[in-house]
Amino acid sequence: MTLKLEDLRHDASGCIRCSNCKFTEHIWMQSARFGRQCPISTRYAFNLYSAPGLMHSALGIMDKKLEFTPKLLDALFKCTLCGACDVRCKRNLDPEILSVIEVLKAKAVEVGKGPMPEHRVVTENIEKRNNRYGSPYDNRLKWLTDDIKPAAKADILYFVGCVASYAHNEIAQATARILMRINTDFMVSQDEWCCGYLLYSTGQVDSFSRQAEHNIEMLKKSGAKIVLVSCAEGYKTWKVDYPKVLGKSTDDMDLKVVHIVEYIDQLVKDDALRFKNSIPMKVTYHDPCNLGRLSEPWYHWEGTYKRYGVPEPPKTFRRDGHAGVYESPRDILKAIPGIELIEMERARDNAWCCGAGAGVELAFPDFALWAASERLEEAKATGAEAIVTCCPTCKEVLHKAAQSRREKIKVYDITEIILEAIS
Amino acid sequence: MSISREAYEALQSIVGSEWVSDDPAICIADTKGGYATGIVDINAVPPACSIQPGSAEEVQQIVKVANRYKLPYVPTSTFFTGMCAPSVENVIMMDLKRMAKFEINDKDLYAIIEPGISFSMLQAELFRRGLFTFVPTCGAHASVLANHIHCGDAPLAWRMGLGYRRILATEWVLPDGEMLKLGSRAYLKDYFWGEGPGPDLRALLRGNEGHEGGLGTVTKIAVKIFPFIPEKLEPQGVSPRTTLKLPESRMKWYNIAFPTREKAVDFMYEMGRCEIALMVSTIPPLFRYVARSRGLGASTFWEKWTRFGETANKDAMDVRVLIFGWTSEKQLAYEERVLMDVIADFDGVARPAPPFDESNFMSADAVCSWFIGGRFLSEVYFESLDCGLHTERGIREISRKRTPPLADTWDTPMLWAGYEFAHLGKQEYLNYADESELDALRVHEQDCREMDLKIGAYAIMEDTRMFGKAWYNYNQKMQELKNIFDPNNLSNPPKPLERPLHEKKS
Repeated sequence: MTLKLEDLRHDASGCIRCSNCKFTEHIWMQSARFGRQCPISTRYAFNLYSAPGLMHSALGIMDKKLEFTPKLLDALFKCTLCGACDVRCKRNLDPEILSVIEVLKAKAVEVGKGPMPEHRVVTENIEKRNNRYGSPYDNRLKWLTDDIKPAAKADILYFVGCVASYAHNEIAQATARILMRINTDFMVSQDEWCCGYLLYSTGQVDSFSRQAEHNIEMLKKSGAKIVLVSCAEGYKTWKVDYPKVLGKSTDDMDLKVVHIVEYIDQLVKDDALRFKNSIPMKVTYHDPCNLGRLSEPWYHWEGTYKRYGVPEPPKTFRRDGHAGVYESPRDILKAIPGIELIEMERARDNAWCCGAGAGVELAFPDFALWAASERLEEAKATGAEAIVTCCPTCKEVLHKAAQSRREKIKVYDITEIILEAIS
Repeated sequence: MSISREAYEALQSIVGSEWVSDDPAICIADTKGGYATGIVDINAVPPACSIQPGSAEEVQQIVKVANRYKLPYVPTSTFFTGMCAPSVENVIMMDLKRMAKFEINDKDLYAIIEPGISFSMLQAELFRRGLFTFVPTCGAHASVLANHIHCGDAPLAWRMGLGYRRILATEWVLPDGEMLKLGSRAYLKDYFWGEGPGPDLRALLRGNEGHEGGLGTVTKIAVKIFPFIPEKLEPQGVSPRTTLKLPESRMKWYNIAFPTREKAVDFMYEMGRCEIALMVSTIPPLFRYVARSRGLGASTFWEKWTRFGETANKDAMDVRVLIFGWTSEKQLAYEERVLMDVIADFDGVARPAPPFDESNFMSADAVCSWFIGGRFLSEVYFESLDCGLHTERGIREISRKRTPPLADTWDTPMLWAGYEFAHLGKQEYLNYADESELDALRVHEQDCREMDLKIGAYAIMEDTRMFGKAWYNYNQKMQELKNIFDPNNLSNPPKPLERPLHEKKS
């Protein structure tokens, strides 16, 4: 990582504690029940459990007035890095508060206080077997069934990711079958390593860099030009975090990252794909944070702040959530006959996090389930029969929450719906 | 800083171990209030512990423990203002965010609110029911309860009045832990009425500008709400470009250019006399450029603002008016006809403005003044619009002498907002400095105080002791009340008497 905590002093001290970061965008707020945006702040309420509290802690750490206390570590590693605070803040202000939280996690790791013990297990799995589960490396392509035949050489490399490769094979299989049905050649790689999302989001930047370098090299060797993903975490990692740790901008990476929803949506818009089958179902769509507000391209900036906080050199792009992937999945769902899409109160850049991001589900499963249950409540309030999402991790935790609460509402990955509509 | 184990355990027994902590990180996070960072909160010290009661009964018990162990406590909720940053040692920070129940009586038009409810939450619930309230200038994130008992300064106060006039029945935990119920709540399980039976003590809540937790802790209030029009305000856009689209059959914006400040102020008085419009306020060029650059970064603002300064008209003043067909479309047509007549009488030039709003019904952009970097100090005067002409002129002259290091305002007009049909006027002057030059703001603040003494003006957050006879014996009476209500001086000491700015200067 190129950023150190001290590089972000201007940002941490720029917090004015207005608390907008804790609330749903005021313009879009529709009820008090779903009027809050930050999972840790909503659940734990202490100021520490919020962006302003973490900003003040970061300043305390920088100024050596504070150490990584148990509560600080608890708040920091319960933060799912969902980015809601960052987007809310940047509606009016400029501080890069999400970067401060990311770098504060990295600082905790640097001084040996982080990550959480459960994260260390995953780190060991990744370091030994290149996947988060610690499964044998050879099992990475076990999800391939007889009917799925990737090409030996293609412009598209389907980067499957750990969750779809090892735990939720149905997503990998649906994605591959969709690509085959629409006659798109794609490769998969036996040499794919964990994208490293869990490492980066728990502050383990050195280990993450190793994953990034390997996967970029793997892509180069494959000859593919496009990395296609079906996972929101993988999408954001390739598009944002790889360039970030390499000190580059997304545009300067010699690759293009595409989520399956962007690919399918374009085909539908070009009239190259039509959904034949009707799926009579009321659904609501859950925006994964990593595909929505966090997926904007990364623009590398190194410089200083001059008088009145003017950045020198000027920043050329503002990551504030306006350019996330919000419409593609919605347009796909709307194009499928029979599907009625009903929005939740908190949608697009306002989406409530499922609670599983940044390894929170591993270290704090109860809190993750609570956050997912909140989302289920919101989904139920729409009258939808199912929640559709675009991220295996979101699907997993929402499904667990539904099971634990014995809810009837179903949880689908969008690839499963698309496949059914074109089969 | 610490409190005894015995006291801590007593607190723990009230709320449970999850909702009280003396972890240094928890305490440091409760140190810094917002607003004018490095100025208002300059004397803040970390509390000894932070506690989150879930009910008024728990608040009472916490306050009794505070009295038993002689520990000061500070009640707070959304914590935007630095007034509730602890400024003495060994404070129990009493964060009321968990108390977030509300009830809306749409028949008798009042809402019962606990401290954790923000304005956007209440407004969203009211809109669902065809009702509405004001949203304060500080933003929709503010606590409804805290803002009502502080002042309730809001753009829509032009027609709806300041919030503190609309407090109805109230539940108030006094500094000794006893519960005081005001208005109809004193005898009934009903909140509809603010005055009696018994003495009406709501004026003590309002004070000069609220008691800021210095006379106890208000745990529940009822506030008056209003019927809204049947048409909806439609949210649009993705952050940072979100806005509410206004129904054009009922609402219409006009920006009106006047050749001088005096003409604009006279226009505002006449608008008040005609009793039309929902909001009437000037649009300072500074605010206009901040709004234009929001979402584009500080560089954009300074580039545009500097360019503007080269040709800025220092005398011209624009006024923004929202006319409102509250009862019917006919009313909108009537207000528009009257508005046009008044504009013509005062040499104004009217320009209709697009039917969108981000500042008045949900106030989502209230804090954008900070994005242009650095730090600012806001001199705010509540008096008359005419008084605003004097104070603005005075501050402009002072600013000119201190620029640089203060950022150039190009001598352009600042904010005048008319409240209660111009019976009350607010004037606000913003001065910016770089964060490394906070001393410049403090010196500027001192200059402004001297000017205030000379012309007899009084800015909010100012030490009332400075003004002698102009404030009669306000401070003496407040001290007497503080002694009666809070003999142990535990409820956010030294509030409501001394102001952080004054403390810093001394």
